[in-house]
Amino acid sequence: MKLVVNERRCKGCNMCTKVCPYGIFQEGKRPGSRGYIIPVLDHPERCTNCRLQKLYGRQLCGMCQMICPDQAISWIDEKPFEPQKVVIEY
Amino acid sequence: MNLEDWYRQDRLPHIYCAGCGNGTILNCTLRAVEELDYKKEETTFISGIGCSSRAAGYTSSDSLHTTHGRALAFATGLKLVKPRQHVIVFTGDGDCSAIGGNHFIHACRRNIDITVICMNNNIYGMTGGQGSPCTPYGAISTTTPYGMQEQPFDLCKVAEAAGANYVARWTSFHVKELTEAIRVGLETPGLSFIEVMTQCPTSFGSKNKMRQVTQMLDMFRDNAVLKAKADRDAAKGILPSPEKFVVGQFVRRNNPPLGVEAAK
Ligand SMILES: Cc1ncc(C[n+]2csc(CCOP(=O)(O)OP(=O)(O)O)c2C)c(N)n1
Ligand code: SF4
Ligand code: SF4
Ligand code: SF4
Ligand SMILES: [Mg+2]
Repeated sequence: MKLVVNERRCKGCNMCTKVCPYGIFQEGKRPGSRGYIIPVLDHPERCTNCRLQKLYGRQLCGMCQMICPDQAISWIDEKPFEPQKVVIEY
Repeated sequence: MNLEDWYRQDRLPHIYCAGCGNGTILNCTLRAVEELDYKKEETTFISGIGCSSRAAGYTSSDSLHTTHGRALAFATGLKLVKPRQHVIVFTGDGDCSAIGGNHFIHACRRNIDITVICMNNNIYGMTGGQGSPCTPYGAISTTTPYGMQEQPFDLCKVAEAAGANYVARWTSFHVKELTEAIRVGLETPGLSFIEVMTQCPTSFGSKNKMRQVTQMLDMFRDNAVLKAKADRDAAKGILPSPEKFVVGQFVRRNNPPLGVEAAK
């Protein structure tokens, strides 16, 4: 699964940057198509839900999606699936 | 139905300002409804007037956007006519406690079987940030430029004293706990009242030294005291500091509700 931010919905409030345990959402610098500063994703493949949703068959974590007041965060299927090496620093 | 189907897609993106907590509360409510597997036809969202009250218009099921302060009166009517319907009310602090204060007290007293979600942003957001009965002491609003000189309502205590079967308070930062509280509220017969402390960055944060949305979230995280901790402190005689507020479940009881179909 791949984490995506919908630029048509995001208003750049940065609430997502407050909740991700991996700090995947970082304050952005450049405006998106509607003029809002969209957050940038730092190695989104570390996201629990990206890695394990398929395995567990349900949504995991999801804090960023729940707090996003503009319903801009979702996950899409990656096809064909490419295995990725993920390094998680503790 | 999955979560995304509960949003009225043709109305998104919604009109809320960037970082307005109302969108988060809408997420939590729809997630709870989705978890309980409610049917669209059996669910109705009802609201009064205010930014908070616009939330009902962003759901894909039937909704009623009624008059200022009167959502609970409409909800009572609907529930009595259609007792099988799941009735969920979105209201604001002004809508619920100022113009709608009397409806609020009596809906709790009647213990009508509905779930009320009050988005408390401490002011009248929609009309430009005037003070409401929930503006904290000392806070700046457009009608209290030198700081609020009145004491605010504790809406949860009002609901509890008036007779609601379920009462809880969370914030727009505590998304998991809030979703859980709404789910429990929906499952509890009788009136369930969930107060959500939320941010209005446009009219409240900007005037009260929290210009960034994230500063308001930090404030909720730092000032929310869990009920168990507040009870322990009270037992030890420690007085709560004025900027703190208690979060958690305050009551869950089984008083006879109104508007529930009699068991046959
Ligand atoms: C009968 C009536 N009186 C006054 C108004 C003006 N009015 C519209 S919204 C509002 C306040 C809403 O405050 P609140 O319920 O806290 O909602 P918020 O916008 O803060 O979410 C007022 C006074 C109205 N629409 N109808
Ligand atoms: S919380 Fe949502 S709207 Fe706000 S910056 Fe993040 S993705 Fe954008
Ligand atoms: S689901 Fe959790 S881990 Fe994944 S990006 Fe969102 S907050 Fe971070
Ligand atoms: S004025 Fe305040 S409550 Fe209304 S949409 Fe804007 S931030 Fe939200
Ligand atoms: Mg308000």
